[in-house]
Amino acid sequence: MRQTLFAALALAAMATGVWAHSKAEQTTPANDATMEKVEVIELRFDAPMRVTAITMTGPAGDVAVARETGMDPVTEFRAMPPADLPHGAYTVDWRGLSADGHPMQGTFGFTVAD
Amino acid sequence: MEGLAPIDEWAIAAIIAKAAGYGAALLAMGGPLFLAAFPEAPTDVRRLARKIAIVAALIGLAILAVRFGIRAGRISGMGLQGAFDPMMLGFVWDSPLGTAAVWHSVGTALVFTAMFDSIAGLVAGLVGAAMIGVSYTSVGHALGDPRWLLASLLTLHLLAAAFWVGALAPLRHAAKDAGGAALLHRFGQIASVTVALLILVGATFAWLMTGSLVALFTTAYGWTLLMKLIIVTGLMIIAAFNKWRLVPALARGAPSAAIHLRRSIYFEAIAVLLILMATAALASITTPPVNL
Repeated sequence: MRQTLFAALALAAMATGVWAHSKAEQTTPANDATMEKVEVIELRFDAPMRVTAITMTGPAGDVAVARETGMDPVTEFRAMPPADLPHGAYTVDWRGLSADGHPMQGTFGFTVAD
Repeated sequence: MEGLAPIDEWAIAAIIAKAAGYGAALLAMGGPLFLAAFPEAPTDVRRLARKIAIVAALIGLAILAVRFGIRAGRISGMGLQGAFDPMMLGFVWDSPLGTAAVWHSVGTALVFTAMFDSIAGLVAGLVGAAMIGVSYTSVGHALGDPRWLLASLLTLHLLAAAFWVGALAPLRHAAKDAGGAALLHRFGQIASVTVALLILVGATFAWLMTGSLVALFTTAYGWTLLMKLIIVTGLMIIAAFNKWRLVPALARGAPSAAIHLRRSIYFEAIAVLLILMATAALASITTPPVNL
């Protein structure tokens, strides 16, 4: 039984599931979108979420984003990327704490191109 | 498979810490329950039950602290450094886990009073056991609707589980002669009620979380729940074998009955460990189908 449990855990580790508790999560830019210009990073949740960390990586490594939303739980989170992002693929990772105390995380990507 | 959270090393650490925390909490709660249910148990058996409850209660507090660190680390995105970050720890303290920690700590302090061989100490210990149980209703999936029903079901489930888990080691210690058989027989009688309650309230909780039979097979929550139920079934088979075969054999003074019974209780403990792991996975990385 122990092997079964470990096998299941390993299987679960390989699966890429949806994020728990954030089914209605939507982002701006939308995941996999191609944009000419990105003025704002937005995360929308179906229940208040305290976004505790957000990082963005681009073609040249980490990109600093300026939080507009503070550390309070929100249903709409906003952060500003630097102006004139160079062309390329970007990934945004975030971490948070949901209202029921579950640690949450999510990631989405977009491309900046003409 | 739907409703599975991403699993990284922090999630694995959280599951292990949570399972260990469940074990410690059930043992701490089980001590006063055992003492209350078996006043006739031999002194050395009662002493063992007390000792286990006290040690488990202390370990439970330490695990709670570790869980705070793990959660802070997870939400910080900074790794180990985040586990000690005062701001992140403050967020965890402000979250339902902070509320649970208060209930858990006060409950633990009360369980310590069961160390004293007095009625007042025992009553306080029982209140402490209930408070540790209630602490779990302020976090996680029990916060769904209908809130009060879920909280009551979970508290009953934990008390019934604690009665069983907390009795394992003292009963194993007592399983050496016909005198011990009387104690084990009484446990079997009480357990036939408490285990039925354990399963009934657990199944009701699971039904409220799942909502459909299809969801059992299409979601991560459902599969983890099924895995838990398979191990529970194994545990029930061992328990039934003990109750109807080994305990009567011990009472008859059958040779090697004690050895078989002690080994069998050991297997029960292993099954409990696996059940706690499955439960921790259920509570950490899966979303109940009703929330999908």
